[in-house]
Amino acid sequence: MVVRIARKELLEMTRDGRFRVAGGVVALLLLIALGLGWHRHSNVTAAHEIAIAQEREIWESQGEKSPHSAAHYGVYAFKPTGRLAFFDPGTEAYTGVTVWLEAHKQNQFLYRPALDGNTLQRFGELTAAAVLQLLLPLLIILLAFSAFAGERESGTLRQVLSLGVRRSDLAVGKALGVVGALALLLVPAVMLGAAALTAARADSPSGGLVRTLFLAGAYLLYLGAFVGVTLAVSVRARSARFALVALLGFWVFVCLAAPRAATDLAKALYPTPSVQEFAAALAEEKETGIGGVDYDDFLEARKQELLAEYGVDDVEALPINYAGWRFQVSEEYGNQFFDRHYARLWDQFEAQDGFRQKIGFAAPLLAVRSLSMSLAGSDFAHFRRFAEQAEQYRRRLVAFLNDDMRDHAGAGFSYRRDQGLWSKAPAFAYDAPDPVWAVSGQSTALAALVLWLVLSAVLARSAAARLEVS
Amino acid sequence: MLEAIGLTKLYGSFKALDSLDLSIEPGQVFCLLGANGAGKTTTINLFLNFIEASSGEARVHGLQVAENPLETKKHLAYIPEQVMLYRHLTGLENLEYFTALARHEEYSQDQLRRFLNEAGISADAIDRRVSTYSKGMRQKVGIAIAVAKRAKALLLDEPTSGLDPKASSEFSELLKSMSGEGVAVLMATHDLFRAKETGTHVGFMKQGRLVARLTTAEIGHADLEGLYLEHMHG
Repeated sequence: MVVRIARKELLEMTRDGRFRVAGGVVALLLLIALGLGWHRHSNVTAAHEIAIAQEREIWESQGEKSPHSAAHYGVYAFKPTGRLAFFDPGTEAYTGVTVWLEAHKQNQFLYRPALDGNTLQRFGELTAAAVLQLLLPLLIILLAFSAFAGERESGTLRQVLSLGVRRSDLAVGKALGVVGALALLLVPAVMLGAAALTAARADSPSGGLVRTLFLAGAYLLYLGAFVGVTLAVSVRARSARFALVALLGFWVFVCLAAPRAATDLAKALYPTPSVQEFAAALAEEKETGIGGVDYDDFLEARKQELLAEYGVDDVEALPINYAGWRFQVSEEYGNQFFDRHYARLWDQFEAQDGFRQKIGFAAPLLAVRSLSMSLAGSDFAHFRRFAEQAEQYRRRLVAFLNDDMRDHAGAGFSYRRDQGLWSKAPAFAYDAPDPVWAVSGQSTALAALVLWLVLSAVLARSAAARLEVS
Repeated sequence: MLEAIGLTKLYGSFKALDSLDLSIEPGQVFCLLGANGAGKTTTINLFLNFIEASSGEARVHGLQVAENPLETKKHLAYIPEQVMLYRHLTGLENLEYFTALARHEEYSQDQLRRFLNEAGISADAIDRRVSTYSKGMRQKVGIAIAVAKRAKALLLDEPTSGLDPKASSEFSELLKSMSGEGVAVLMATHDLFRAKETGTHVGFMKQGRLVARLTTAEIGHADLEGLYLEHMHG
C-alpha cells in the first residue's frame, strides 16, 4: 500500500515539468559544486604534496650555520586536507592550512583564501555541502508542499479516503515518494562523489569510509526532518498556497536568518579579538613581562638554579654552552605565554562553535553544518588539533636545535652545524584524528538532528491522523 | 445495506441533518432530492465518516460507520459531483492507483482496460493523461473505479450535474446495471428526470429533514415534479 502510494507520487513528480526543472537545476548545481570542489581540492593537495616533499629538502640543505640560526630559518607545516574536504571545505578558507614554525614565535596560519576573496564570496561558496544544506530542503518543500493541501483542494483526497486508505499509510507513502524523488537526483551525485573520493589523493584524516557513512547519516537525518515538517505543514495548511508560504518562511528562518543570527550572537557572547588586536595583546604582554614576570627575572632565577646544579659561580665555568641553554630558557619563557594566549583565543572559537551547535535545536541547518564540517575534517576542532600538534612539533624542533648547541658548542661562538644535524632533526607527522574523535565533539549537533527528525515524524504522523478531508 | 438511525448533524445550533431514518436494501436506488443545503451531502459525508454524527448512527452492511471507518469503506464506493483524478497520470494509471488503494490488486492491465471500456472510455483515451478528459469522461472513470471496487453500496453526490444528456443517460444505464447486480445506491441529485428514470425510491429533503419518501413505481414524472414543488415550497 505504502509502496504503491510512493510510486504514484514519484510518477506524478517525474511527469510534472515544474518538478523536473527544479530537480534538474539542483542536480546540476550539485554536480558543478562537486566539480569545483574536486578542482580546488586537487589543486591544494597537489601544491601540498610538492611543498611537503620540498620542505624537508630545503630544510636539510640550508647549509652550514649555528643550530639556533636554523631554528630561525624554520620550517613550514601543512595541514593535510581530508578527502572529504572537497565536499565540505568548512572553515579552511578562513583558518588556513599552512603555518611557519620558527624559533621564539607561535605564528598565525597562512594560506587563507578568504583573505583574497571578493565580496561575492561572502554569500558563500558553491560547495556540494551548501547545495545539500540549503537547496535540497528548498527542493523538498517544492516537491511536497502540496502533498496533502493540494489533494485536498483538488478533491482527490476525498476520493482516496473514501476508498478506506489509512491516513498514516498515505503520509508514509507520500514521504517515501519524496525520498524516492530525491534519491533519483542524489544517486548519480553520490556515485560521482564516491568515485571522486576513491580517486582523491592525499591521506584523509583516518577512517575515510566511516566518515563518509556518518556524513551520509547526518544528511539523511537533516533532509528527513525537512520531509516530515513539510508533510506536517501540508496536512495542517488551509490551502496549498498557504502551505508553500509557511514552508518558505520556515526555510528562510532555518537556512538564511538563523545561521547569521547564530554567528552574530556567538560573537557577541564569546567575543574574539581581531588578528591585529591579538597581535597587539601579545606584544603588550611581552613588553610588560609575561604573567607579570619580567624576562630578566625569569632568566636570573633559572640561571641560579643552573649554577647551583653544576656547583659553579659563573656561567663561564659551566661545562655547557650557556648561549644555547639561554635560547631554550627564552623559548620556555615564551611558550607558557603563547599557550595562554592561543588557548584563550581558541577556547573562545570553540565556545562559538558549541553555541552554534546548540542553536541547531532551533534551526537544524546549524547542526548539520557543524557535523558536516567535522566529519569532513575541515572544522575548527580539526584545525586546532593540527595547530596544537604543529606547535608541539615546533617546540621539539627548536629544543632539539638549542639542546645540540648547549651540549656540543662548548664556549664557542662560532659553532656551526650542517646537514648531518638537520637530517637528524625530527620531522613533522600529523596524527590525524579518527572519526569517533570527530563525532565526540558533535554530540549536541547530533542530538539536535535526531530530535528534529523524531519530532517532525511525530508531528507529520499526528497531523495525518487528524487529516481533514475539506 | 445502507442504514441511518436517527442520524443527526449539528453545526452549533444549525441542524444540517435532523434525525434521518433510512434503510436502503441491495438493488435499491434511493434518490435524495432537495435544495442546496437541505442535508443531502451531509448524509453522504456521514456515511463516509468524513464528518462525525452529533447523534444517531450510520451503518453500512450492519456495521457502524464511526466505529469501523476502514471496514465499512470496503463496502462503499463514492462518486462525487466532480470526479477528481491525478492529471499527470493516464486514465488507466488513475484506475490502477485507485483500485490498488481499495486493496484490489488482483486485476490485470487487460481487466482494468475492460472496466474503463465498459464505463465508456474509448480505447485510445485510456492511455491519455486525464488532464485532457472532459467532465463526462472523468465521471466514467469514477464509475469504473466503483465497479472495479466491487462495492456493495454506492454513494453518489450529484454525479450527473453538468453532464450532457448523452453522458447523463449513459451514466444512468451503468447505474441501472449495477443496481441490477444487487448494489444499494444512495444518490443525491437535483435531476428529477434522472431520479424518476433510475431511482427505485425518492426522498425529499428540506432543512435537514426527510419530509417525504416514495417509490418511483407509484408516480409519473409530472407527478414527481408537482410533489417536489409542493414539499419544497409548501
